Amino acid sequence: MSTPASGTPQHPDGEADDPLPPVRATFAKETWKEVAHLLTNFPVDVFGFVYVVVTLALGTGLAVTVIGLPLLALGLSGCRLAGRLERRRVRALLGVRIGEPRRLRMDRLGFFGWLWAAVKDPVAWRHALYFFVRLPWGIVTFTVTLVMLFVGWPLLPWVARGMANADRAMARGLLSPSDELERRIAELESDRGIVVDTAAADLRRIERDLHDGAQARLVALAMDLGLAKEKLLEDPETAARMVGDAHGEVKLALAELRDLARGIHPAVLTDRGLDAALSSIAARCTVPVRVVADLPGRPAAAIEGIAYFTASELLTNVSKHSGARSASVDVWRSDDRLMLQVRDDGRGGASPDAGSGLAGLAERLDAVDGVLVVDSPLGGPTVVTAELPWREREFDHHG
Amino acid sequence: MVDSVRVVIAEDSVLLRDGLTRLLTDRGHEVVAGVGDAEALLAEIERLAAAGELPDVVVADVRMPPTHTDEGVRAAVRLRKDHPALGVLVLSQYVEERYATELLAGSSRGVGYLLKDRVADVREFVDAVVRVAAGGTALDPEVVAQLLGRSRKQDVLAGLTPREREVLGLMAEGRTNSAVARQLVVSDGAVEKHVSNIFLKLGLAPSVGDHRRVLAVLRYLNS
Repeated sequence: MSTPASGTPQHPDGEADDPLPPVRATFAKETWKEVAHLLTNFPVDVFGFVYVVVTLALGTGLAVTVIGLPLLALGLSGCRLAGRLERRRVRALLGVRIGEPRRLRMDRLGFFGWLWAAVKDPVAWRHALYFFVRLPWGIVTFTVTLVMLFVGWPLLPWVARGMANADRAMARGLLSPSDELERRIAELESDRGIVVDTAAADLRRIERDLHDGAQARLVALAMDLGLAKEKLLEDPETAARMVGDAHGEVKLALAELRDLARGIHPAVLTDRGLDAALSSIAARCTVPVRVVADLPGRPAAAIEGIAYFTASELLTNVSKHSGARSASVDVWRSDDRLMLQVRDDGRGGASPDAGSGLAGLAERLDAVDGVLVVDSPLGGPTVVTAELPWREREFDHHG
Repeated sequence: MVDSVRVVIAEDSVLLRDGLTRLLTDRGHEVVAGVGDAEALLAEIERLAAAGELPDVVVADVRMPPTHTDEGVRAAVRLRKDHPALGVLVLSQYVEERYATELLAGSSRGVGYLLKDRVADVREFVDAVVRVAAGGTALDPEVVAQLLGRSRKQDVLAGLTPREREVLGLMAEGRTNSAVARQLVVSDGAVEKHVSNIFLKLGLAPSVGDHRRVLAVLRYLNS
């Protein structure tokens, strides 16, 4: 496979093009298709050029009048339609699959919303550019192919392949949906999916914790107290003991509820920020934890929340799995990133593989363009660094 | 310490306010007023002070209307500044080292900061109210644990024996030597020896008076 077409690139939308067979002197099916494409270039491009020039010139020329902008918007919508037809031709004759661009996005509803969105639609303008620059190329390909068909047909397969490849590149460049904005939108949509998923998982966890923890304790407590009430007259001593047990039980239920509520969102995080909120999770860890926070201000609430949650999860790991004797949490700002580092002197071997708690954390961080780096050789020490974008707070929460 | 103390309660939950009132009056203390938010608390204290009837202690919730964040702490800091003789005991669903530091700024005289759950242990809780009313200190064990954890003096703290760490914790909670001795089931003399050892190891001048001692320890941990 040494022909120039063998390295067909993979598209951002994941669809692979049909593989091209190598060029042979005997005319293969693909060569005939390419020739057909090159010959149809001329009428198609003439039509496209005339359409673009007429509608855009009319639309902009009449922009001062009432019908100017609507005409321009209609013309651009037509460019989208023409682009779709052109993508079909390219796919049928050149075997290039190009994903459909996103539909027109309107910030506001109604006629003016459509008008504004259509006029500034980047996809339509790129399509217009495509048809505008194609005319001279269409004339060249038409002429050369025609001439080669009659006088240079032994060389035609190679010439056709070369010109068809130029066509392929042009179509991919200007008719594809893959501009920066479109890609970013697709990315954000998948991030939003992850956020929604983790939120749902959190709700399930809270429900389960309530059900298995405090709720069960309260049921047991109600039972104990009911029994004690019956014993009160006949056996006051047993009753007193039972009330004592119930008292202990209710204190445990309170502690569990407190932990649960704090796990959802600690009030001090909202009031005083990350530095203050880290104290209590550090104190809760089973090993001594040194906390050093060096922040010039407070980042956006969402970033603070994720940083807190990350530190909390990492310290829980230290308590449960590391076998460490001490740990530390460092938080600092580096340019436009918020850095969080948790290290411990435990046995190491923590892995961020799929399915682990660390993988879940990495996914959450990814949803806000954050990164999780795990360095945990067997035998320790373990250093986990989280990097989040520093977004400024939208408003200052009292002082 | 068995005298009846005069208390003002600031707590937005009526259920808890009534419960606290019942609990304190049952133990022979007088609840002068019960209010539902920080504004009302400040107004009530000003009114009582003007009438020359300043209470001994205020028991205030941290989260109260209108913002349900830290109104109680801010009201407490203000009351301590305006009325140094007034004891302030702050109750909270969660205790935070940061709020404790704000409350203790300047002095640890007549200040308390406890988890709300502690009211379940009635005797301990009422003792804390009386202690704060008399100018003592009552810090929640959980706050003390956080302060110890956040302290930059980990090297020195690591030099303490486990027993000394225990004594240091109880001391920081605001307990007297005899209370520490009771808690650990040792003699008063043993506690005194531990305390002087701790002060020696931390490099602090042994101070007289329990609340001064608390302040010295807390300053040390926070520095």
